[in-house]
Amino acid sequence: MKANELLEQIREANLSYLLLAKQLIHEDKAEAMIRLGIDENTTELLNQLTTAQVLRIASSNVPMCKVRFEDPAVWKLLSDHGKERAISGMHAAILMAGRCTQVTA
Amino acid sequence: MSKIKSLTAEVAQIKLASDLIELDARLQVLESETQLSRERLIRLYKEIKHKSPPKGMLPFSTDWFMTWQPSIHCSLFMNFYSACIKHTDMGDGECLVKAYKLYREQITMLGLPEVLSLTRAWRLVKFFDAGMLTSTACKTCHGSFVVHAYDLVKNYECGLCNMPSRAGKTKQDAATRFFNEESMFETA
Repeated sequence: MKANELLEQIREANLSYLLLAKQLIHEDKAEAMIRLGIDENTTELLNQLTTAQVLRIASSNVPMCKVRFEDPAVWKLLSDHGKERAISGMHAAILMAGRCTQVTA
Repeated sequence: MSKIKSLTAEVAQIKLASDLIELDARLQVLESETQLSRERLIRLYKEIKHKSPPKGMLPFSTDWFMTWQPSIHCSLFMNFYSACIKHTDMGDGECLVKAYKLYREQITMLGLPEVLSLTRAWRLVKFFDAGMLTSTACKTCHGSFVVHAYDLVKNYECGLCNMPSRAGKTKQDAATRFFNEESMFETA
């Protein structure tokens, strides 16, 4: 039962991620690549998926989206900001914007 | 400037010009980023903004970009811009629009003043192209930050890892000063 629930949650997360990605790509391909941090091939691939295919992919037991930032500094800045929320946010934004240029997948 | 022959190319140029005008670009930016004639650009400007484009010189010094608050904003914008240049097949002008929109969205989310105007952002890119400014990695956070090209930047630490003691204290002042400066240019 518990395992089923987990699978269900993975499926839901997959579905909302894939649908969001497709929507972003549909609205503005270039912007979507920057926002999602994915390369052109993946963008094209996602773009061509039909709704039925999205549903099929989403219902697998493997989460299809992955944590984008592996730099602990980004997480620390976003979670433990002191009184200077805007400054920490700015710092994190600079680091994150810089990371999307390092996507090589 | 060469005349555009293809109609579809012209449509793309007009689209770019209107995007830039909507983001408050000055006429000099439009003239540099599109091949449309000055007369047509002025007409387009009047159609979109319902007023004549501001006259006067553009800010021309690299020093403004290097003071604490602007430098942080520049670095954020430049990170977006280089991501657009490297990872998409958009032209320079489109990248400028896209990166500026992403920058502005981020700033608004954080509730910070819009320190970098589109015209400044465009100048920033030009300074990069001319090799007067460059970006370097901070030794502590490894983020990419805008610096003078000939500064000694071997052990560079960014203004966010190593904040100057007065930084942020004059945030409001700096913001208003900036806007005054810009409006001064516009009325000049």
